Amino acid sequence: MTKPSDLVQGTLDLLLLKILVLEPRNGWAISQRLKQISGDVLQVSDGSLYPALHKLEQEGWITAEWKRSENNRRAKFYSLTSLGRRHLEREVANWSRLSAAISHVVRLEEV
Amino acid sequence: MRPQHWLYTIPLRLRSLLRRRRVERELDEELQFHLEQKIEEGIANGLSPKEARYAAMRAMDGLELRKEEMRDMRRVRWLTDFLDDARYAIRSLGRTSGLTAFVVITLALGIGMTSGTFSMVDALIFRPYPVPHASSVLTLASTTHDSNLDNFSYREYLDIRDKTNSYEGVIANADMEAVGFSAEPGATPRVRGGMMVSGNYFHVLGVEPRLGRGFREDEDQVPGRDAVVVLGPDFWKHEFAGDPAVLDRTVRLNGTEFTVIGVAPERFPGMMIFGHPDFYMPLAMARVFSTNRQKNFFEDRDDRELSVRARLKPGTTLEQARNELVGLAKNFEREYPKVNRSRGAAVYTQFEARTREDLNWKFGVIFVILALAVLLVACTNVAGLLLSRARARTREIAVRLAIGAGRFRLIRLLLTESLILASLGGLAGIAIGYGVVEWFQSFQNVVFMTDLPFSIPFRMDTRVLLASLALSALSALLCGLAPALQSTRVDLVNALKSADVDVPGRKRLWGRNVLVVAQVAASLMLLTASFLMVRGFQNTLREGTSFAKDHLLIASFDPRLVQYNTAQTQQFYKLLAERVREASGVESEALTQNIPLGLDDFDAITFVPEGLEMPRERENFTSTMDTVDEGYFLTMGIPILDGRGFLASDTADAPRVAVVNEQFAKHYWPGGHAVGKHIRLESGAGTLVEILGVAETIKYQSIFQKPIDFLYMPLAQHPVARMTLMLRSSGDPLQLVQPVRDVVRDLDANLPMLHTMVYEDFYMNQAVNGPRIAMKLVASMGLVGLLLAIAGLYGLVAYNVSRRTREIGIRVALGAASSDVLRLVMGKGLVLVGIGTVIGLAMGFGLEQLMNSMLFNAGGVDIVAYVIVVPMLCLVTMLAAYVPARRATRIAPTQALRYE
Repeated sequence: MTKPSDLVQGTLDLLLLKILVLEPRNGWAISQRLKQISGDVLQVSDGSLYPALHKLEQEGWITAEWKRSENNRRAKFYSLTSLGRRHLEREVANWSRLSAAISHVVRLEEV
Repeated sequence: MRPQHWLYTIPLRLRSLLRRRRVERELDEELQFHLEQKIEEGIANGLSPKEARYAAMRAMDGLELRKEEMRDMRRVRWLTDFLDDARYAIRSLGRTSGLTAFVVITLALGIGMTSGTFSMVDALIFRPYPVPHASSVLTLASTTHDSNLDNFSYREYLDIRDKTNSYEGVIANADMEAVGFSAEPGATPRVRGGMMVSGNYFHVLGVEPRLGRGFREDEDQVPGRDAVVVLGPDFWKHEFAGDPAVLDRTVRLNGTEFTVIGVAPERFPGMMIFGHPDFYMPLAMARVFSTNRQKNFFEDRDDRELSVRARLKPGTTLEQARNELVGLAKNFEREYPKVNRSRGAAVYTQFEARTREDLNWKFGVIFVILALAVLLVACTNVAGLLLSRARARTREIAVRLAIGAGRFRLIRLLLTESLILASLGGLAGIAIGYGVVEWFQSFQNVVFMTDLPFSIPFRMDTRVLLASLALSALSALLCGLAPALQSTRVDLVNALKSADVDVPGRKRLWGRNVLVVAQVAASLMLLTASFLMVRGFQNTLREGTSFAKDHLLIASFDPRLVQYNTAQTQQFYKLLAERVREASGVESEALTQNIPLGLDDFDAITFVPEGLEMPRERENFTSTMDTVDEGYFLTMGIPILDGRGFLASDTADAPRVAVVNEQFAKHYWPGGHAVGKHIRLESGAGTLVEILGVAETIKYQSIFQKPIDFLYMPLAQHPVARMTLMLRSSGDPLQLVQPVRDVVRDLDANLPMLHTMVYEDFYMNQAVNGPRIAMKLVASMGLVGLLLAIAGLYGLVAYNVSRRTREIGIRVALGAASSDVLRLVMGKGLVLVGIGTVIGLAMGFGLEQLMNSMLFNAGGVDIVAYVIVVPMLCLVTMLAAYVPARRATRIAPTQALRYE
């Protein structure tokens, strides 16, 4: 995966938050899920994942809890906060607007 | 971040701060979990455990660096770094505890003395009035050629109050005065301090009474009608034990019944710096109190007894208020030319008023300057010490730099050390500051030998504390910055090679040298200043007062306290003088309005000297004056140089006469005889008064005062209410107290005897001990400065020796004599002392000029001070350099060469 640029960093946050909408997950599970639902197109490197998760936690959009995983090992589970939920809504709206605009420009016959 | 965000993240931040290790461990655990999951996935995909592990770890490579990133994200980095640095600094300071203690003590002394002396300046100038919105309270004053802070009369006050638009309210008060107080009818009145104020006083100032109420406007309307009084908070506590039932009680002031209507709050001890009125009365009751009996307080526009203040209306500027008042003063001049000619008016802020009314602040400023000099010496000492320490850690610093610490980061580390030192020093300094203030306070009774409620208000206020803290921070910066900057500018390669590196190049030592020079200069300035002040003071004392101080008993009277009119007052004094003269043990008696060097202000007299061409802008001249009886000059031992003193024949019916002092005579009739000349009072058409004698010039208001013009008038011709009796006794003056009491009791049992004491005691306390305390303070500062400078110099030379031990060893091995070594080691030090001395002399000279202009010491440079101080300092500093240098000569070459 190419190194995340500034634009994509924000997008990574968006993706991570979305993945946590339904249920709390740990870091490993998040990266697996992202790979799965994007059909292997989006993979996040470990070096980007944990700093990103850390940042989301510091911003107060996700919160963490130590629980037992399925294979009975201790892991840190993240879940979305109400603040995070609101931020996600905003970012989704922004992303829609942005991607629509880019698509529009790119599809033009003449610029 | 929005506020709601904060609430989520604060627990997190706190955790990052306080549970750092746990947080780090959790991260490791989390990553460990991730790693294991990845390995399992690898195995599931067909790799061997070892391969899977290898692949997983490679994938997670570089996480260490990211960890650092994450630490930064926690945004408490600067704080955790600081805590780390602090812990490290405390440990390393603890290792050299002796040095640390020394440094902390020197800083504490410097900061303590500065904050202690600043408390004085704060109380005298900066402390705001104890009322809400104090900054809008302005002082209004009448101005003349001779005074820019004169009082207004009652009529003038009313005009100002009613005819100006710039103010929310205009208030007036008279000086605090002696009032005979008795709580029960029939009890002997005791003397307390009362102050007359206008009806709107408390209201305009915004002072809410603790109990009851303040005055109403209508209570100050009709002269003599409303006999109400408001008590001061301390007086209420002492006199009535804080009993709330004091309201509506009747008390007697100067024999007249007054009703207590309220008690002022604790927060409001009064508007004066040193005095705290026991109670407040309305201006309308002026007839009961000690106003000028020659004039009509309510009518005469030239009976100027009131200080006027006003609250500026919001929206009005100071400029506007000033212009308005100046305009009003011009109107006065036009409408009342006789009494307001050449009189202007001015509006002052608190700062302006304070710096004009109380002159002690000049002393305070000089003290602060000296204390700052002590602090400077202390700081330079500390800086030098820190520099040495940093030098010894060159290798450690080099290593840190080599593995990637930023230079800024290292500077922060070193600054933290000096910050801790300064904080400790600051705290200790504040404690010392409290001590200094306590010490000042202990002289309350010494400085104020009076029956009236005066006290010393120096305190460690918030302002002073803040100033102390700021000083500590500044010292930390001063002490630590230079060493930190210098020691991080290290040549890494050399530093890593050997522990003690002497980086060649002259620039390096520059900082240290500047420190020494600064120390020597500052302590020289301190020493000369304190020397000059002490010598000046002693000279002044030796000059003496030119009058005989011994065997004198004094006692004051104010017949206004028992409602005497002028005729009764004159009769009282006449009889008092006659009868007291008969008492046994009395050699001679005198009556005077003001005793020399007393606490009260002297009267002033305006006059026109005969035969003199008046300068165009002046109507008349002013001189300080005193009213005395015929026994005065004899009893006081003041020689009459020409003509004669007063006699019993200078009665009210006889032609008006006066005696002037030599200064006066020389001023107006230089080269001629003053005796036989005349002056006219008030103006060119006023009463004619003949000068019949010239007395020797003595010290009148303070022993530090320069000689002033002075004029005496006989009591018989110039009635005055408040007089002090002075009795010269053949034996112990205190023996005369009872006889005098008996005489007074015969004349009037209700008349109190005030301020009864032996004049010499009063003089010692007032004129001598007060300033002596100040001198002690100054001398101790000088001494401390000197000690610190010595320590600093010793430290420098010792340090140099330790640096160059190997070099010295080599030189000695090659045949250098002791003298050569001494010269080598001390040489630089002495040069620095020389430079410091020159600079210090210049600074001391400057300070002396400043002192001369502000204070007493008339004219000229005191050469003796410099002749003594400079060689002494040089000698002492040379000694400080010599001791470690001598040790250098004893270095055994073999030992030195082995040193690494």
